[in-house]
Amino acid sequence: MIRRHVVATTLTALALALTGCATAATGSGEPDDGGTLTYLDAEIPVSAQVQESGTWQTRALQQNITDRLVYRNAETGELEPWVAESWEVAPDGLTYTFVVRDGVTYSDGTAVDATSVARNLEWQSAGDPDKGTTANPQFPKALSAQADDASRTVVVTLETPYAPFLNVLTGWASGLVADATIDAPKEEQQRFVNLIGSGPFVVESEEYGKEIVLVRRDGYAWAPPSSPNQGEAYLAKVVVIPVLEDSVRLGTLRAGEGDIIRYVQPSEEKGLVDAGFEIVAGTGVGLSNQWFLRGSAPFLDDVRVRRALQRLVDRDTIVDTLYTDSWSPATSVLAPGTFGYTDLSDDVGFDPDEAAALLDEAGFAQRDADGYRTKDGRRLTVKTYIDVYDNTAKSLFQAVQQQLKEAGVDLTLHELDYSTYWSTAFADPEVGFLRVGWPHPDPSRGLQQYYSKDGSDLLGLEGGDVRLQELLDAQTPAVDDATREDLLAQTQQHLVDQGYVVPILDDSQVFVTAERVEGFRLTDGALPEFYTTSVTS
Amino acid sequence: MPERTYVVRRVGQALLVVVLVYTIVFFTLFVLPGDPVENKLTSPLNPLPPSAAEDLVRYYQLDLAPLQQFAVALGRLVRGDLGFSLVSGRPVVDVLAQGLSDTLVLAALAFVLTVVLSLAVALTAVFAPWGALRSLAAAVPVLSISAPSFLVGFVLLTVFSFQLGWVSSIRDQGLLSYVLPAATLAIAVNGPLSQVLVQGLTRARREPFVDVLRAKGVGERRIALGHVLRNGAVPSVTMLALVVGELFAGAVVVETVFSRTGLGFVTFESVRDQDTPVILAVVLLVSTLYVLVNLVTDLLYPRLDPRIVRRARPGRRPSPKVAVA
Repeated sequence: MIRRHVVATTLTALALALTGCATAATGSGEPDDGGTLTYLDAEIPVSAQVQESGTWQTRALQQNITDRLVYRNAETGELEPWVAESWEVAPDGLTYTFVVRDGVTYSDGTAVDATSVARNLEWQSAGDPDKGTTANPQFPKALSAQADDASRTVVVTLETPYAPFLNVLTGWASGLVADATIDAPKEEQQRFVNLIGSGPFVVESEEYGKEIVLVRRDGYAWAPPSSPNQGEAYLAKVVVIPVLEDSVRLGTLRAGEGDIIRYVQPSEEKGLVDAGFEIVAGTGVGLSNQWFLRGSAPFLDDVRVRRALQRLVDRDTIVDTLYTDSWSPATSVLAPGTFGYTDLSDDVGFDPDEAAALLDEAGFAQRDADGYRTKDGRRLTVKTYIDVYDNTAKSLFQAVQQQLKEAGVDLTLHELDYSTYWSTAFADPEVGFLRVGWPHPDPSRGLQQYYSKDGSDLLGLEGGDVRLQELLDAQTPAVDDATREDLLAQTQQHLVDQGYVVPILDDSQVFVTAERVEGFRLTDGALPEFYTTSVTS
Repeated sequence: MPERTYVVRRVGQALLVVVLVYTIVFFTLFVLPGDPVENKLTSPLNPLPPSAAEDLVRYYQLDLAPLQQFAVALGRLVRGDLGFSLVSGRPVVDVLAQGLSDTLVLAALAFVLTVVLSLAVALTAVFAPWGALRSLAAAVPVLSISAPSFLVGFVLLTVFSFQLGWVSSIRDQGLLSYVLPAATLAIAVNGPLSQVLVQGLTRARREPFVDVLRAKGVGERRIALGHVLRNGAVPSVTMLALVVGELFAGAVVVETVFSRTGLGFVTFESVRDQDTPVILAVVLLVSTLYVLVNLVTDLLYPRLDPRIVRRARPGRRPSPKVAVA
């Protein structure tokens, strides 16, 4: 028995070494051409409608099917040409002139010319009310675009300066689509087969909830200049299959039936690496995973209490015990790499002594029989609902609960199902903490969406914090990068100083790839890029 | 004619149930918190501005009063138009057709497996010549009731798909792909059915007619399969109707484990996303199926036991149903 085991191990090791050599050989040369990649997502892509879609699984597809005007290099953070060969912004920030790259076509054969680009931009900005198509919330309002096909230029005129515009144009939701898509009824637009882009992959078939098959675009030759691939995609086909059950997705990958999976429990990562799989993880630019604190909740109208809560979360311990190297503790309201990011780890870092002093000062010096702090006989209790959008949320919330308990703060966790989470948790005035934070192509849009009185106003301030509102309002017209970076820095500092947010983690997207997968990388928005991926046969 | 009255009354009741269920669910959806448009607008995953609400609400005709919406929905329903999914934009008829075509095969296969399994277990538990085997078989229903179908499904998948590689865990391989989920379903639902069957058979074999048959010299096998089974199975037939309902809409867990997109999946997704048109259509379909199956069993009773029709009085349900409920 033992002997046979040894032989088997040696053989396996030998086989591994051989395949290792083979992989290394192909790795150093040209990537294998052709082949099918099976990608297992954790969720079902539901709607391809450009302005309304925003889930991770949908973005992943849009990213690979459509091209954008401007590209942001995920490594350098720089803006680079893509469908727009070049662009110019007038000093007043009201006119943008784009030169459209020559020879780009949509997969239905129509041209991605100046006329089409102009139409896309106006459609994104205004929507199509008759069809129930809404405007892209990231886009500037009152946008008009003039196209000149002879000179391949599009001149965009805005009524008011809109500094986030170029960043927004890099985002997944700014993908350019053919007239056929824009002209289709809303219900048709929601189907992936009708999402006609100019990207490196084309949707061949779609069976709702089961699979979406992408095939490579013949003659694709307009990748961003910095891309390692400048021609057609290496993969002939990508089969996207939603496998909702974590253990089944993992088992399928391990059994060799899948090539890449999205979403894996942190506890599984090490075993997978040991078995020869690779973990590819990334944090998208935008807002970090943060818990906002609402002053309307009991006790939280006191800034000292809110500041104390910020100081009581030991992020490093949480990442060390519950997560892996794929994750990192948040250091600010924005994620690192985001335009305008400022490192505020000194202000939000774990500091139980300072927190204790703040709580004493706020009047919570007494302790009850259970060890919780009290004021006038009332226990310092904060209510929250466990986030339903993240499959690591429960253990994360419990860990924070435990850390707060040690400092005498009672965090009560409540659960809701997916369909009632938003309408119930966000409407409950008793709730102190709630989790938000997603990648956005431009941080000021995300900040405004969450914290401005014109957005969701998650803090419930209704513009009552004049300073915050001023900062948020000042960002859109600040067309000078240095000014805007300064404003973003001040905004992050203000949100932290006022104890409005507790940054928790830099939200990671974690993918696992099989050994035969090569060149798989993530975009600046942490989305999977199949264009540079190949499989060895 | 009493039999005709019985049939007419059952059919009438069945129709009434479907209409009531549809109406109740339609108006319940207005009372529940949140709606798909609100979810779309406020969910951090789909961050549309509040200004988009008006257009969407108007587009989906959600600005009409509940009664008006009901009238619109009924008008469409009569014309066979079930509308579009608010979430995926697919015609609801397509969504249902996809779910139903998957579920029909799965349910049928699971149904056959369930019947075979239950009969095998019950017959063994009641008629096996060895006491030990009888006890063992009698324990099977309890065992299968307590085994969560998530676990059963995953174990089957691990063995037959991940280890042996006989079946794909994700790809559609036609009939082959139905075997494991059907087995999981059958294991899950056969428990209560076997239990009731065991009880029914035990009771029936003690009835005096068995002695009479034996005295007449009828063989044990014929007594068991021909007479005891026929008499003892009546309560199980009612149970079987419930099982069919469960196979149609209750298969959510099994469908999730096996990545299938049947009716259970459609139901789960539509409720999760509050996709009103799909929820209503699913309710309509499932309640119709449920009522149909119950109708068939109700109409089957007189064949199994002619006394039921004679006993039935207006306003009173036939006794075997009451006995089981």
